[in-house]
Amino acid sequence: MIRKAKSPVPPKWAENMISFFIEEYFLEEVLGDMEERYFDDLKTFSRRKAGRLYVLNAFKLLRPALLKRLKYNQTLNTLMTKNDIKIAWRQLKKGRLYSSIKIGGFAVGIAACLLIAMFIKDELSYDQHYHHKDQVLRVINKYTENGEREEWTTFPAPLAKILKSEYPEIESAGRFLSSEGFGAGSNQFRRSEQDQIYYEEGFVFIDQELFDILEIEFISGNKLSALKKPMSMVISKEKADKHFPNEDPIGKTIVLNNDAERTYEITGVVQLKKASHFQFDFFLTLEGIEFWPGEQNFWIVNNYDTYIKVSPSADIGLLERKMQSIVDRYYKTAWRAIGDLDGEASASNSGFGLQPITDIHLYSGKIDDGLKHGDIRLIWLFSTIAGFILIIAAINFINLSTAKSNNRASEVGLRKAMGSSKLDLMKQFLTESVLHGAIAFGLVLVLIVLFLPYFNELSGKQLTIPMTAWWFIISVLFTCIVISLISGFYPAIYLSSFRPIETLKGEINRKRESIGLRSFLVVFQFTVSVSLIISTIVVYKQMNFILQKEVGFDKEQVVIIEGSNTLGNSLNTFKNELQDLAAVQSVSISEYIPVDGYTREGNGFDKVDNKGTVPTVYGQIWKVDEAYLGTLGMNIIKGRNFQSELVSDSSAIIINERMANQLGFDNPIGEHISNYEGIRTIIGVVQDFHFESLKGGVEPLCLVLGESPSNMLVKVQANSTRETLKEIELTWAKVSPNQSIRYSFLDERFKMMYDDVQRTGNIFSTFAILAIFVACMGLFALSAFMIEQRSKEIGIRLVLGASINNIFRLLTTNYLKLVIISILIASPIAWYVMNQWLADFEYRTSISWDIYIVSAFAVVFISLGTISYQAIKAGAVNPVENLRDQ
Amino acid sequence: MKKSRLGEFQELILMSVIALQEDAYGNEIQRQLESLLKERLSTGAIQTALKRMEEKGFLTSQWGEATKVRGGRRKRMYQATPYAREVLQEMRSVREQLWLMMPNLKTL
Repeated sequence: MIRKAKSPVPPKWAENMISFFIEEYFLEEVLGDMEERYFDDLKTFSRRKAGRLYVLNAFKLLRPALLKRLKYNQTLNTLMTKNDIKIAWRQLKKGRLYSSIKIGGFAVGIAACLLIAMFIKDELSYDQHYHHKDQVLRVINKYTENGEREEWTTFPAPLAKILKSEYPEIESAGRFLSSEGFGAGSNQFRRSEQDQIYYEEGFVFIDQELFDILEIEFISGNKLSALKKPMSMVISKEKADKHFPNEDPIGKTIVLNNDAERTYEITGVVQLKKASHFQFDFFLTLEGIEFWPGEQNFWIVNNYDTYIKVSPSADIGLLERKMQSIVDRYYKTAWRAIGDLDGEASASNSGFGLQPITDIHLYSGKIDDGLKHGDIRLIWLFSTIAGFILIIAAINFINLSTAKSNNRASEVGLRKAMGSSKLDLMKQFLTESVLHGAIAFGLVLVLIVLFLPYFNELSGKQLTIPMTAWWFIISVLFTCIVISLISGFYPAIYLSSFRPIETLKGEINRKRESIGLRSFLVVFQFTVSVSLIISTIVVYKQMNFILQKEVGFDKEQVVIIEGSNTLGNSLNTFKNELQDLAAVQSVSISEYIPVDGYTREGNGFDKVDNKGTVPTVYGQIWKVDEAYLGTLGMNIIKGRNFQSELVSDSSAIIINERMANQLGFDNPIGEHISNYEGIRTIIGVVQDFHFESLKGGVEPLCLVLGESPSNMLVKVQANSTRETLKEIELTWAKVSPNQSIRYSFLDERFKMMYDDVQRTGNIFSTFAILAIFVACMGLFALSAFMIEQRSKEIGIRLVLGASINNIFRLLTTNYLKLVIISILIASPIAWYVMNQWLADFEYRTSISWDIYIVSAFAVVFISLGTISYQAIKAGAVNPVENLRDQ
Repeated sequence: MKKSRLGEFQELILMSVIALQEDAYGNEIQRQLESLLKERLSTGAIQTALKRMEEKGFLTSQWGEATKVRGGRRKRMYQATPYAREVLQEMRSVREQLWLMMPNLKTL
């Protein structure tokens, strides 16, 4: 039997789609044309292909000219929308207090989020501007000893050269040197034809190739060869504008530190990107530079930050592994050549890593590179907090909307009785939410403008608002509307599902009030707030702990004079004149100062008589004078201080306790230790003092007599600081009329080391205040509604003889319970997070019980205060008012 | 000429409508243009152009017959208005003048 094939028809669903979307007036013609065409196609194509063509053709019909026109037949809809907006507006005006709390809290939350979003966007934009950002890498020095890994970024001078010549996948390699000891960092800057000396920071020695790798933008000068000539110098746009206003700096000559024999010629002006880890102002060429004979081929010291650019196809993991052979081929050979077996052994602990340039800003937490950078953990912290604040604001929105439901119940009932569908009602309530969102939008813009300066200070950024950029306005508006829609969704469903009969009869099902959900939301809000409060207290406690910690030297009343090396031969005259001042207790010349930002020098030291049994100790070697220890109030615990009149003291050395320990000395006095310069005799042991941030411990350190003229330390008497400073200034002006004096205070420099801690504290406290403020606004409105609902109950209780006290307790205990639950939940969370944060510090405060108690009391007090206004008002009212209409 | 502009595709369709005379409806226009242009055109493109030109007053239309292959649906027959013919003429004369102004194509 032959089965009769079903006659072909175009796909039904595509036809339905056409009918749904295409203007009815065109429909008959279009569908006819489509079908006729389908049968045309069947003559040439298979049935399946003709069907496919039909579907394709159907989609191509969806053009604006042919689509249904909404405006023709949806007038009822627009009418209803208009009505919805009108009702929403009336509702808004009716409960002004609640509306303003609802919208205000919402706007605060969104504004905070947007500010944080701008901060995060800025942080993420660092080092993203390179054309070949995937090919540029920073070489990381990895040193692993006893399972402990140290990472830093400096390498021996010849590394870049070797990398480029021996590894074909490396297209170019460039270096910079930023170590103060070699003349980078800060210098005295003078145009060679002028006398005026300026103090400038941000000097760096650099290869021309690094400019190419980092795609530095040249404003003038030849970007390919600016640094090819010895003694050439490139400066930043800002510094060019400062020192050469309305002049072309190219070709001008510069004298550094009054060393007129070596003049630099400016060969270029560059503009650095702000969002980059690479921030310097004066670029001195490395061309023709050798800091000591053979330095450029010396493999034993690490001074150069090294960057490479690899070919697009390079396998970076493989390259990293291939680079390890440099340790054997160059590091060890170099140590062997000078006969240092310990050095050779420790060289095997070295390794290489390659860090993508895009990671430098946010992912360099464990890498010691001397740069200021962001922290990806801070980004996470910020986004988490932003998220929480947004959730808190949204919760207020939901809470207040549902709490208000009883007032709206009869309206819902009536509308339903009149034939309104659930969908219509939802639309109505969502319209209200969107209206709130739209008002919040305006408020958000105002708040952002108002708080941006404060936020910039808080985050250490210079963010600006792209107020005129349409994308910014659109995205703010979009955020407001979307979030108000999302948070309006639950109340809309909840309110629109009331049953008309019950509501019209006045019976609202108590179970429907979702006490559970509302309590949960309150607990959530307060958990976040309490966590933030505890964190804030811990951060400030740590800050206090640091500032009050015994650091082993006396940081009070010490003036640091900067750039005293420019005095040249008059340095000692100046020192003597200072010492003659009545209020000056002592003066020391040394640029090695135990706070961040001053000269450091590290060496390896060995015990002289039993070389090999104790491993080399790496420590600081500081050049000081005999007044140094006294001026800084450091204690000699064994032996004696330097005496400049003893000739033998030029080869003497004072070590700190830590160094004595590491070298294994019981009685170090009279023992001998050596570094690359020679053998020295230990004459004293100084009590350990902190010379780096308290995030780390005290490292080995030793002091020798020597000249380091860049800074002077002046200990002044406590009671007359201002006059003394004036006298110091006058003395300076006498000795050096061409240059103004610069000084700072040791205790302030010490404090500056912990700016980031201070900032973290400020951030936490701001967010804590914000969170608790928004949460309390919610609680305030919520309690008001609850009290309003229970007004009859309160009236009856009052009539039956309850006191205000009873009523107060009745109304507040529920909320207090929730707040206490929040405290119980928040405590362990905050404890865990803050322990993580404190782990960064070698010296840290403890998270003691009093912190919890203080924050618990604070929260209970604040929330009680919030509720009590309403509760007392409810208790004090004349019960007749409440019961009159019964 | 300055009031309403005709797109290149619209112009082709308009000329096709005039050429087809009594037979001018969507599919016939499409068949004719497809055979001339040697490419597949979508119904959407044709219909959009027809509707746009009708709005602009280049075309008028009325219902035509219904056939079986159309699922019993009526065709819509199009006619060019005198205004459309005028515009076409004008465009043609502009083109011809420009052709004359151009140097011989082969020497280009």
